[in-house]
Amino acid sequence: MLKVNNVNAFYGDLQALWGISLEINDGELVALVGPNGAGKTTTLKVITGLLPYASGMVNFNAHDLHRMPSHKIVEFGISQVPEGGRVFAGMTVLENLELGAFVSTARKVKDQTLKWVFEIFPRLQERKGQQAGTLSGGERQMLAIGRALMSKPKLLLLDEPSFGLAPILVQQMFEMIAEINRQGVTVLLVEQNVRAALELAQRAYVIENGRVVGEGKGDSLLSFESIRAAYLG
Amino acid sequence: MKSLKIISIIILIVALACVPVVIKKDSIITLLIMILLYVILATSWNILGGYTGQTSLGHAAFFGLGSLVTRLLWIKGVHILPSILAGSLLAVAFALLIGAPAFRLKGVYFAIGTLALAEILNVTVGNMFPEISSLPVKELVAYQLAPRYYAILGMAVFVVGCSYLLVNSRVGLGMMAVREQEDAAESLGVSALKHKLIALGVSAFFTGLAGGAFAFYHVGYYYQYPFSPSWSLDMLTMVYIGGQGTILGPIIGAVFFVVLRQYLVLNVGEYHMIIFGVLFILVVLFLPGGIVSLWSRLQKALFRRSKSNAIKRSPDVEG
Amino acid sequence: MIEAVAQNLVIGILLGALYGLAAVGIAMVFGVTKFLNVAHGELLMFGGYATFWLFNLLGLDPFLSLPLTILFLLLIGVVLYQLLFVRMVKLPEEEKIKNTMLIGFGLTLILQNIALNLWTANDRGVTTSYASEAFTWLGVRFPYVRLAGLVISLVCLFALQQFLRKTYIGKAIRATTEDWEAASLVGIDVHKVYLISFLLGTALAGVAGALVLVSYSVSPSIGLHWTLKSLIVMVLGGVGNFMGTFVGGILLGATESATAFFISGNYREVVGLILFLLILIFKPQGLFGAKER
Repeated sequence: MLKVNNVNAFYGDLQALWGISLEINDGELVALVGPNGAGKTTTLKVITGLLPYASGMVNFNAHDLHRMPSHKIVEFGISQVPEGGRVFAGMTVLENLELGAFVSTARKVKDQTLKWVFEIFPRLQERKGQQAGTLSGGERQMLAIGRALMSKPKLLLLDEPSFGLAPILVQQMFEMIAEINRQGVTVLLVEQNVRAALELAQRAYVIENGRVVGEGKGDSLLSFESIRAAYLG
Repeated sequence: MKSLKIISIIILIVALACVPVVIKKDSIITLLIMILLYVILATSWNILGGYTGQTSLGHAAFFGLGSLVTRLLWIKGVHILPSILAGSLLAVAFALLIGAPAFRLKGVYFAIGTLALAEILNVTVGNMFPEISSLPVKELVAYQLAPRYYAILGMAVFVVGCSYLLVNSRVGLGMMAVREQEDAAESLGVSALKHKLIALGVSAFFTGLAGGAFAFYHVGYYYQYPFSPSWSLDMLTMVYIGGQGTILGPIIGAVFFVVLRQYLVLNVGEYHMIIFGVLFILVVLFLPGGIVSLWSRLQKALFRRSKSNAIKRSPDVEG
Repeated sequence: MIEAVAQNLVIGILLGALYGLAAVGIAMVFGVTKFLNVAHGELLMFGGYATFWLFNLLGLDPFLSLPLTILFLLLIGVVLYQLLFVRMVKLPEEEKIKNTMLIGFGLTLILQNIALNLWTANDRGVTTSYASEAFTWLGVRFPYVRLAGLVISLVCLFALQQFLRKTYIGKAIRATTEDWEAASLVGIDVHKVYLISFLLGTALAGVAGALVLVSYSVSPSIGLHWTLKSLIVMVLGGVGNFMGTFVGGILLGATESATAFFISGNYREVVGLILFLLILIFKPQGLFGAKER
């Protein structure tokens, strides 16, 4: 489904990604783990077009995503939940969700999709008239994911969905993500919470200092220094 | 390298000093006086706007106050030098008076606030002194271009020199810290307000000096004229075109500004403002660092081409 | 005496409505895109001239020709946006504000001088058949022309509010204002949003210009004056609250009139400016603005 091949990306003159390659197949739940500042968010930004890449290739279902503006990429079926959720605080929960279905393909089936999202996140339905800025951290995260789901994505990118959440909520969050994946949405999960990510995902990539240094299933990744540190630390 | 710079600066100053002796054409001296005046204005504005990052749209107030006080005293018979000094000091006093409350405003709000403030003075002075300021006969008769030229040349050297010293001092470092990240600077013990006030005071003083020079130079002008907001806009324009936050930038900007305007007025007449506006926009779009940045850009372009696939060590970037 | 005061107040409020309308135009653009288009006053001036020429050459009533004036301004807006402002979209906020302000300055030079060369520096006005008519209430005259100005301004304001609150695009604009990256990620074309916002601001400037022409007069030099007023009222009302901006305009207009009446016509601007500064000092976010810092 998604093929990232040998991508180099820069912030100005600073190189952030060095020859990143990864692959995600239909229906998978893949994790991207690594220490702080390793390039996880940058990788996501490259995929969704928020950051242009200097060389390499990003291919989604045989479409070359090079130089495609972010909003077009959403139309193709990739949706990202950015770090911190970034809901539209001045608008209601319902308005946030409705905006999630902005792309024309999603807009037509907006009502059905809304029902689906409310099934996954019943709390959002309770609070649908509330201003997003007044929600709790966990609810906001749910709203952000719900909003991303409204565009009926084939691939859902999640950037640290558990960040700042209480441990119980983290557990719930990951259960919901697993459920979303079960319902047919391919997921790329970026996480610092390595343990949970590796339990959840079928496969994972390890990224360090802007390079992919490993790939595999949970156990085989334990050989990496940083992963081990995350488990023991 | 440094001594080369110093020598070339000295040569430049000496050359400029020799101009009235060698060149007898008044129009050239007048042009140079204009350029030097604008150099002072641009350099002054840059201290607050370029180095401390506070965009003021009200500097005409200091220019106006300097010229008003200078002119009034001088016409009354006070010698020109203390008159100019008095004008500049009044400008500083005014600046410090409004400084603390003004700096409660940030960014755009500060800019618009200073604009409003300068307008208040503009209208008030226009009402209190609606007439043209003319020189008494004594001064008219004794009017000579050369002393004006030397006065303003001296002023320009003084202002640029002080600006250089200020910027390279600890205070200057503090000012730039305030510009870059005010909150971070505060947490490091750099008092943002103090540095802003210093920058404002110095900037106002130099602008006031320019006002005094203006009053000294012109035979007749409306008292209100130096308070016009167009002066504030010109200062901002020159600094951005030349390159803000540098010593050379405002100088280049001033020269460019005056010479270009002169050239266009003479050669294109009615449409000169349109062409000037177009050129200005082109600089903003394609040379955001100002003319000064042209040099460093050229360096970069040549440098990058000669290097082949250099591996740059990248520090940890947010991931 | 009371009548004189009331009359003065009414004229001030009616003028203030124009201030408010012009300010909402610049606030619309600045709020969404963070472009500080200081050539806003020049666009207003062009709106006035468009109405003037439609009246003089085609005999069109200045109120009926509003759609045409708006169209004309939209055309100018599209050209300016695509040529100049579109390059500023992705800049960080502070740079965006500074650079667009500079571009705006350049534009004021260009636009003002185009107008000067095309139409001379003379004041232009239009006198319709109903220009001197008014309805009188309790001894106070409400000139129809200026009253229409108030009504049209309110209609524009209301339409804008509804657009932003109820329509999908309006909500997309609000979302982009809050967080343009997040807006991109839900599929909103930020460029389109910016363009639409810019055009809305331009259109409002055009309407304001037409009203200024009809109520007062236009000349190439009024641009700076109206830009200054728009900026002051925008900041006074607080960016992001258009109703507040409008009220700020009315307040300024009333203050100026009162000053002219009670103190002196020469100082009518000064008191308004002082009031503006005082409010800013004690409420840096404006009268109705949300507390940012």
